[in-house]
Amino acid sequence: MSSLRGWKPWALAAAVLACGSLALVARNDYLLQVLFRIVLFAGLGLAWNLVGGFAGQLSLGHAAFFGAGAYGFALLSAASTPRWVALFLAAVVAAAFAGIIGRIVFRLRGPYFTLATIAFAEVLRLSVTNLKLTGGAIGLSTPALFSGRSTWGMLYLSAIALAVTAFVINVYVARSRFGYYLMAIREDEETASAVGIDTASYKLRSLLISAFLTALGGALYGSAFQFIVPDSVLTIDISLQMAIVTMLGGAGTLYGPVVGAIMLLGAAEVFKNQFQESHLLVYGILIVLVVLFLPEGVVGGLQRRFGGR
Amino acid sequence: MIVFFQACLNGLLTGALYALIGMGLALIFGVMRIVNFAHGAFLMVGMYVSYVLFDHFGIDPYLGFIAAGLFLFLFGQLIYRFLIRPVRDRSDFMQILMTTGIALILTDGAQLIFGADYHQVNIPLVNRTLRFGAFAATAASLLSFVIATVLIAGLYLFVTRSLTGQALRAIAQNIEVAQLVGIDVTRIQGLSFCLGIALAGIAGGLLLPALYLFPSVGDDYTLKAFVMVVLGGMGSIEGAALGGLLLGVSESLTSLYLGNQWALAVDFAVFLVVLSLKPSGILGRQRT
Amino acid sequence: MHCRRPAGLLGTLVSAALLSGLLGCSQPGGDSTRIGVITSLTGSQAAFGAAHKNGYLIALDEINAKGGVLGKKVELNFYDDQSKPDQAVQGVSKLFDQDHVPVILGSYSSESTKAIVPSVIQRQVPLMIPTATADNVLDSKSPWVFRICAGAGDYARTTVEFLKSSGAPKTMAIVYENTNFGQSNMRAMSEAAKAAGITLVAVEPYEAKSPDYKAVLQRVKQANPEVIYFCSYLLDAGTLMRQAHEVELNPKYYTSAGTGFAAAEFPTPKGAAKNAEYTFSVSQWLPESRWPGAKEFDAEYVRRTKSHPAYHAIEAYEALQVVVQAINVARTLDRATIRGAIRNLDLRSTPFGPIKFDANGQNQHPVMITQVLGGRYHVVYPADVADAKPVIPTPPWSQR
Repeated sequence: MSSLRGWKPWALAAAVLACGSLALVARNDYLLQVLFRIVLFAGLGLAWNLVGGFAGQLSLGHAAFFGAGAYGFALLSAASTPRWVALFLAAVVAAAFAGIIGRIVFRLRGPYFTLATIAFAEVLRLSVTNLKLTGGAIGLSTPALFSGRSTWGMLYLSAIALAVTAFVINVYVARSRFGYYLMAIREDEETASAVGIDTASYKLRSLLISAFLTALGGALYGSAFQFIVPDSVLTIDISLQMAIVTMLGGAGTLYGPVVGAIMLLGAAEVFKNQFQESHLLVYGILIVLVVLFLPEGVVGGLQRRFGGR
Repeated sequence: MIVFFQACLNGLLTGALYALIGMGLALIFGVMRIVNFAHGAFLMVGMYVSYVLFDHFGIDPYLGFIAAGLFLFLFGQLIYRFLIRPVRDRSDFMQILMTTGIALILTDGAQLIFGADYHQVNIPLVNRTLRFGAFAATAASLLSFVIATVLIAGLYLFVTRSLTGQALRAIAQNIEVAQLVGIDVTRIQGLSFCLGIALAGIAGGLLLPALYLFPSVGDDYTLKAFVMVVLGGMGSIEGAALGGLLLGVSESLTSLYLGNQWALAVDFAVFLVVLSLKPSGILGRQRT
Repeated sequence: MHCRRPAGLLGTLVSAALLSGLLGCSQPGGDSTRIGVITSLTGSQAAFGAAHKNGYLIALDEINAKGGVLGKKVELNFYDDQSKPDQAVQGVSKLFDQDHVPVILGSYSSESTKAIVPSVIQRQVPLMIPTATADNVLDSKSPWVFRICAGAGDYARTTVEFLKSSGAPKTMAIVYENTNFGQSNMRAMSEAAKAAGITLVAVEPYEAKSPDYKAVLQRVKQANPEVIYFCSYLLDAGTLMRQAHEVELNPKYYTSAGTGFAAAEFPTPKGAAKNAEYTFSVSQWLPESRWPGAKEFDAEYVRRTKSHPAYHAIEAYEALQVVVQAINVARTLDRATIRGAIRNLDLRSTPFGPIKFDANGQNQHPVMITQVLGGRYHVVYPADVADAKPVIPTPPWSQR
């Protein structure tokens, strides 16, 4: 179990404050936008970690929740719901959606489960692209949550708030019986079930929380860029990105998603500016190298080398 | 009515190519449990090989596909040895990561080498339409259907009759026992991988005259291939082929009656319905 | 889930430090004028981003050969939006907030362009749009936004005018790809057709990049339209026409919203060959256009890339030329002055035709209708620029 005693909570709080203060110090919006993206994906990775890391259920359909949050936010706002209400309501709707999907997909195991999650996300994406209500491929405008000079600063702070919330939930889960059951399911689902753990119920619960957080992230993202199209919030890349960030950082660890987000998204932006057209090639090489030489993800690898069990 | 059967015919013609792609992935995923997210990228490589042969040497893609297959078989040896074998026993997570990385390298690499431009190949066979009573099909699609069927049959025979094929199936059923019985698991798995992506490359070569070429052409096919394999049942090569044909026909009929924009969505919907009724896929066996 | 010790926290802090170091450094000013360009160098629209880049580079070399702008060489800062609108928005930040460019060109697609409009308005940077055709891109009516190319609405209206003047058909089917381009053009044509009293008997979306459209075309055939309007971006034009032949679809007119149907290879043996014959398309530019410099641009493009340019490349070329011209006239890098200079431009003869922006920032670029006859594009409308008469109705496939 993670021990979060002593100096650790203070160090963490200090780190968060330091990150937050960047919002005041940052010279320009570009840096804030990149940081926003990184912190958002750290939060999303932490949300994914609940299902993929703790429960070991490799979901590659989380873009469905991300997109549901974004589109829910856009549609509810267009129907005159106050923006902040729309934000949370969209997340609730996404969680409800997750409840329905979960009942179906959690009956499946392994690759069947993963493919089923992808299938749901794709069906949602295609429906949104084809229906006039959701703007089709042309997209929808989303209202801004903040205005004025410090818009991106506020968005960045919101992303931090989301990430911290996700982190705290991860900590709680890691230390609770709920988390213990999830990990039991991850290690050996049949045995867990035989021992009397209601596997379906726990898996579903982890998905509901995960979906809620992911959808909040989606709504925040949608509001940040003020315009959403299916290709920016519902594609499989987003599901993959969430999963990769966590897997690369170290699935099932607390810091894995954070490290993964900083490394991957930071690297992506740096590569884009340095390498122009070949930035994806370099990015691909980076991923391959990490897989070859850091088999448990970055954090897992660090744990091995620098001790700590 | 005629229109319905014509649509089924079109679906089968396309489905045969899908089946090739699916069977290739079934070899890799079903047998080796390697989650190969780069499968579509290998298809793209096969397409480029065929294209280069056509553009520079005038070799017809209906011959060039053989070279595409061979190239990918050899290329697969390198990939397997250095990139796949290290992750063979690791978690699905790591395999997805690795193959995603490979896909990015191949796709962006293709863009850097060949440019992002679209390329087309127009050969006479594609324009020659054969008519059988009220039905029609291009000579090219019939030819690729025949080639695909021969390959599918050949693969099926290989897997069921030959010694290597049986070793393959043994590994798919129970890898520890296969090792105990003396099967060189590493070698056979390598063979399976190379054969799998060679099939993807061949499908690419056959697809070239029917479609057009660009670096990310394979991306959509990776997902479809997975749907076929899981739909047909893991570890079942025939299942993947069946899945391919089913997808082809489903897409064609959906396009006719609902509209082409729903074809892919219906693919996934059918997939989900089948899985909820038979969680191990159409021809799959319940795995312990 | 083990006792983490400092490993995780350490890892986080180290990566954060590295990152801020790498991102923090921005390039020094130097002695060249930098102009910002956002385009799709990777992603689903990379092929067109590449066309953009080639066009920009040809213009860049010409400009620098003539001494650059305001006595300094021009440098282009490219930002790859990866064919995604949110990345395009990030590009505006990077180019303006970080690199301090006075003008931005781009993006490529309509959705990315629409996404960046609020950002450029907020920062008060002139934006020159080379190729985004969706009509909603200029909705803001901001004085900071300019567009070189004609829009989807112009495509639709010109096509409808042409149809009215050559036979006045009554029924139409729209076959469009299920993307932003396709859907925007479908909407534009739906409005224009309704306004002209043409009935839409079929409106069929399709998923691009598929090998088989026969079912879609069969549905259209069952509706029996006199006109078909294709909104097809990529090389699906070839597949569509080939399969229209297979399915024996015989409307009186095959019309289209350009791009795939106006690509250089479309009427050649490499493209759709004989199946392309008799198809009409809207066109903004052809290598054979009579505007001075068009042929030279085509030759230079072929020299560099071994293929003929579609109009995306010339639009990018022209966009940069116009912007540099405006800076030269303004004699300063002050953004408001540059904006005013662009507004006042009245160029009579450029390789892309006359350039003059209206009150909304739209360049009044003429749209022509071409028809493929004898394996080549011929302008058939409007009459004053036509070099051939349109052949109507289109002969049925069995009689060709």
